[in-house]
Amino acid sequence: MRRAVYLLGAVLGSGIALAWAQGMPSDPQIAAIVVTANQVDIDAGKLAEQKARGAEVKAFAKRMITDHTGVNQAAVSLAQKLHLTPESNPTSQSLKEGGEQNIAKLNELSGQAFDKAYIDHEVAYHESVLDALDKVLIPSAQNAELKALLVKVRPAFVDHLNHAKMIQSTLAGQ
Amino acid sequence: MPGSNSLYQPHTPARRHETGAPALILAFAMMLLATVPFAGRAAQPAHHGGGVVHTVIIESMRFTPQTLTVRRGDRVTWVNKDLFPHTVTAAGKFDSHEIAAGASWTYVAAKAGEYDYVCTLHVGMTGRLEVR
Repeated sequence: MRRAVYLLGAVLGSGIALAWAQGMPSDPQIAAIVVTANQVDIDAGKLAEQKARGAEVKAFAKRMITDHTGVNQAAVSLAQKLHLTPESNPTSQSLKEGGEQNIAKLNELSGQAFDKAYIDHEVAYHESVLDALDKVLIPSAQNAELKALLVKVRPAFVDHLNHAKMIQSTLAGQ
Repeated sequence: MPGSNSLYQPHTPARRHETGAPALILAFAMMLLATVPFAGRAAQPAHHGGGVVHTVIIESMRFTPQTLTVRRGDRVTWVNKDLFPHTVTAAGKFDSHEIAAGASWTYVAAKAGEYDYVCTLHVGMTGRLEVR
């Protein structure tokens, strides 16, 4: 299972590396990456809120839906204010595909196996988004308000990652 | 209200009787004493109802200031500047429940003590309220 997590991280991360190799993303591309990244986690959260077995996992899923919805609302309204039309790009596409694959995989699982797979993915997902924020998104953002929003929400991703890791270690002991 | 400081700052109930002030002024002074129980804090900016109003900002998953020291009777307002809800919870002592994005919650620090609090929704958020 642990090997699978690392592999997943590598797959998620490859989209970021690809975009980086093609040059830093523009602000419209960053907007698309941010909105997609949040939406993917909202979608997984909605599935987990229904299917998860553990109360702690369900509560985490609810938190992901609420927090990432809040971030996305701010991102969308900022994009509108700045007249930025989110532009699809390899990173946003990779995130979207990764999210769809995750949902497909989770749909086939139930009980403890579901909880573990969901949380393992949450750990890998938040690690890869933090990596993207630090290496690509924050350094590339041109508009000061867009950059400020990314900086403002970064600690939430750190907290979610720590939260997911705590649950991951609890589940590993069960 | 710097002009009124001299009215109530030096007053204690004993001295007030010594001054032999007219009943109206005495009543006014008592009212001030009742609403602002700690005269030493007159220099602080915000008074509201029962005491000084302090503000803690919640933003980027942090309480700022992380430790706040107030006097008994003061009010503390937590303002959530994040994009999602937080709580201010000292187990068994006080609990804001969910403070929505952009909303705030005010607590009257009625009892002296040292209160470590957390956000129950997020794992790494801690703060401390010291009431003297």
